[in-house]
Amino acid sequence: MKSFEYAKARSVDGAIQLSTSESRFLGGGIDLLGEMKEYIVSPKRVIDLKTIPNLDRIDTSTETWKLGANVRIAEIARNDQIRATLPGLAEAAAEVGSPQIRNVATLAGNLAQHSRCWYYRQRDLRCLKRGGSTCYAREGENKYHSLFSGNPCISPVVSNLAVILAALDGRVIVRRGEQKVTFAIPDLYADAWNNPLAHNSLRPADLIVRVEVPTAKNRSTYMQVSEKRDFDWALVSCAAAGQKTGSQWSQIAVFLGAVAPIPYAVDSPLLERSGLTSDSIASIAESLASKATPLTHNGYKLPIAQALVRRCLDRITT
Amino acid sequence: MPEWPKEPKQLGKEHVRYDGPIKVSGRAKFASDMQPGGWLYGMMLRSKWPAARISAIDLQPALRIPGIRAAVFANNPPFIVRYYGQEIAAVAGVSKQACLDGLRAIRVEAEPLPFVVKEEAALSDASPRVFENQPNAGDPRVLQVGDPNTAFQSADKIVEGFFQTSVQLHHCLETHGNTIQLNDDGLTCWASTQGISSVKDGLADNLGVPHDRVRVISEFMGGGFGSKNGAGIEGGLAGRLSKEAGGQAVRLMLTRLEEALAVGNRPSSFQKVRLGAKKDGTLVAYQLEAFGSAGYASGGMTAAGGGGAGFPAPYIYQIPNSRVQQTTVAINAGSARAMRAPGHPQASLGMESIMDEMALALNMDPLELRIKNDPSEIRREQFRIAGERFGWKAKYRAPASSPGPVKTGVGCGGATWGGGGHASEAEVQINPDGTVEVRCGTQDLGTGTMTVIAIVAAEAFGIEPSAITVKIGDTAFPASGGSGGSTTAASVSPAVFDACQNALRDLSVASGLADPRGSNWGPATSRLRINPVVARGRWKEGLSGHGAGGVQMAEVAVDIETGFVRVNRIVCVQDCGLVVNRLASISQINGGIIMGIGFALYEERIMDATTGVILNPNFETYKLPGAADIPDIEIVLQDMPERGVIGIGEPVTIPTAAAIANAISNAIGKRVNHLPIFPAQILGLLGKVPGVPVEERNGETGA
Repeated sequence: MKSFEYAKARSVDGAIQLSTSESRFLGGGIDLLGEMKEYIVSPKRVIDLKTIPNLDRIDTSTETWKLGANVRIAEIARNDQIRATLPGLAEAAAEVGSPQIRNVATLAGNLAQHSRCWYYRQRDLRCLKRGGSTCYAREGENKYHSLFSGNPCISPVVSNLAVILAALDGRVIVRRGEQKVTFAIPDLYADAWNNPLAHNSLRPADLIVRVEVPTAKNRSTYMQVSEKRDFDWALVSCAAAGQKTGSQWSQIAVFLGAVAPIPYAVDSPLLERSGLTSDSIASIAESLASKATPLTHNGYKLPIAQALVRRCLDRITT
Repeated sequence: MPEWPKEPKQLGKEHVRYDGPIKVSGRAKFASDMQPGGWLYGMMLRSKWPAARISAIDLQPALRIPGIRAAVFANNPPFIVRYYGQEIAAVAGVSKQACLDGLRAIRVEAEPLPFVVKEEAALSDASPRVFENQPNAGDPRVLQVGDPNTAFQSADKIVEGFFQTSVQLHHCLETHGNTIQLNDDGLTCWASTQGISSVKDGLADNLGVPHDRVRVISEFMGGGFGSKNGAGIEGGLAGRLSKEAGGQAVRLMLTRLEEALAVGNRPSSFQKVRLGAKKDGTLVAYQLEAFGSAGYASGGMTAAGGGGAGFPAPYIYQIPNSRVQQTTVAINAGSARAMRAPGHPQASLGMESIMDEMALALNMDPLELRIKNDPSEIRREQFRIAGERFGWKAKYRAPASSPGPVKTGVGCGGATWGGGGHASEAEVQINPDGTVEVRCGTQDLGTGTMTVIAIVAAEAFGIEPSAITVKIGDTAFPASGGSGGSTTAASVSPAVFDACQNALRDLSVASGLADPRGSNWGPATSRLRINPVVARGRWKEGLSGHGAGGVQMAEVAVDIETGFVRVNRIVCVQDCGLVVNRLASISQINGGIIMGIGFALYEERIMDATTGVILNPNFETYKLPGAADIPDIEIVLQDMPERGVIGIGEPVTIPTAAAIANAISNAIGKRVNHLPIFPAQILGLLGKVPGVPVEERNGETGA
């Protein structure tokens, strides 16, 4: 990698003061160090956030829980309160990487991680996402790529946590200079839908401070299908969440991961109605087919997505 | 003829690894751990073009980078590179970062050339040529036995299929490389190798050093699987860098990326197979048209160790009439090398798949069809033993007949391997305190060779293996040849046993005790004075055997909504002659089966047609089985001491993939025909993928 300045932040304000348009924030480093070693990014300054006190706290004292940017993925997976109240979040965390990665990787890092597209990560290629002129995946080896995209780049979002947090109506609190900006999860990735250069909607010096998760949705789940049983990226991931009060259902949301540059919302008028049946669940899953644009090698993701939508809705409603 | 003891005390028992404690505690030093005083890092510059004419290389900018001590060409320009990752230059420096900076500073003038990286495309007349003066496809190798045309006409059933296996990479956990010091005294090389003697010869000749001034050491190494028989281009470059740097040692170990580019692979195969049988299941005719690629050297030069993409056919079953046509096609990609049972896993996939199709066409149990047509008595017995252990009769059902969205299925396959022993020497020293040193110029690939030596010596002397000190992996010891073809245990064990017999004779004379073994060991050795007993021995016919079979059965569960496959169980029955170390044999079989699972379900080098690069050069996207992917593995070792020691490293990886492919096909009722078998293929076969037509089932074509 290229040489860089290394700075330790002692506070969120300090981190903001240290940041420039050519600096990068360091959380667990799982994604950033890989990109630096491959010369994909070469920041002039790396600002370590692990030295900021209390940024790894989970605050469950109010109805909306606050998870600090530095909370480790392993902590989310094993935290008893999260497992009891937001089971889908714990399930999604448990599927991230390996135990070693989960012990180091952070919540904010998982949300802000960059594309895993193998053309993007190839050291000797300069694809569309790296500022080149071509998305090689479109006509090439695209088995891991998107079924839905609003731009020529078909690299999908791969954050497990983004998918479940979208279903749980999570919000991401970001410091932008002196300002505090709040993103709903879909907004955090919206730029990547239209802009091939974008991985998300964050600007270079934006700092994720925490994630807020309402606990109103008392049913949630996350599932993924990978090629291997463990320590593998999702071919397709899916999260569903909803609120059940007595026999009344409300606010059911379903999102898919690894099929679009954003957590892909499964929209259906049937979700609005209370009381899903196996027929309505099947037709919600079925409705994905008309919206997808499969390429040469990724059409198989559609039946997996449909199966996962059915299974996630089945699980939360039974 | 020498004989092994009839009632052994050590042979065939379970022994923990001789080198286990020093390996798990980190005290064992591998080539990649070596740090001789003043050592330098070495790294290589590789082509970023899949094909290019290199007209000039300027090393001066690299030499100006702080910390860089030497820089050399891989070839003198002008030259042509023919694959992404081919060697261009190398540097040595005081740190890894200095080397990385040095490589980025080197200026290369190159004119990119047209290239082809996909086998089917390379076969076309319109394809760019890997070597300009010759077509990519070599002349087909044709082998005809009997009269296949007439035999097909006489067949009651004929089945056809098209099967494909992908390029599999060795991906040894310790990467390729050496630490080399070349100065006026000579050359010392700490190598990660399966052949210290061939590394010694190669380096001596390559670098012009007299053989008596070259010493190669490989006490521990992290896997080879056939890809580490020589010093490699990286060895020659490390030697030249060391010399250039004034005789400082250079440690040049490849990166994980480089492992995927340039140090070997298992060739791909594309197999069109036709099989004819009589109503009673007797096979009468076989036809194969196959092609595959062993990389850039396939069509021409094989000096890089490429060889062809051929495989044995028809595989293991007796078919009196056959026509086999095999073509090797060159592509702009790294060259193949021997890989654990070269050719056999590919051969097994095609053969065992078409056997299951024939069984379906004949409405016959696939196991019965195999037993009927297998000429090997040992393997027929193995099919029976495996079937009983596995519960084949109860488990085998019509394709796709298990209920629910998760379908179970079963499949099986067989293997053959030659193996055998080769010339090897060993030296035994008995000390006055009763301790024993065994020295042998072999190397331990990780298969447990040191433990084998300790067991054999302990058996011969009637003492405990813990009293034996084993010294291997040094060309200063008696030469023992390379570790390839499942020959190491079969070569080393007889040599050590022979040396022990010679030593016993000398000890008997020196001590005056007719039989100094066992309880006499202490008294006998205590009569030795200053001079210990030192005796040599060599490999002898009769103590080793050759020819191993092997049968495996697999049970899988396939989620037909997601295409996800889970292997639940593998049963393996393996003959191996005289078992030396039961624990290590079982461990090696586990490893072979796990490698076979990788070949079946996960492993595939993916080349990009447009850019010519490899897209999955790391363990993130080149997938290997993890702990969670490993099924219950049940192993039956067929002990046949009368046959002598026979290696089993290779046969045990052969039939796994075919058994799994057959089990998946049995589960879903469609013939999987392409390894590795990812969910995409399964969902496609089941007609669930938009835009992918369901292919006509491979199988019966008439009579």
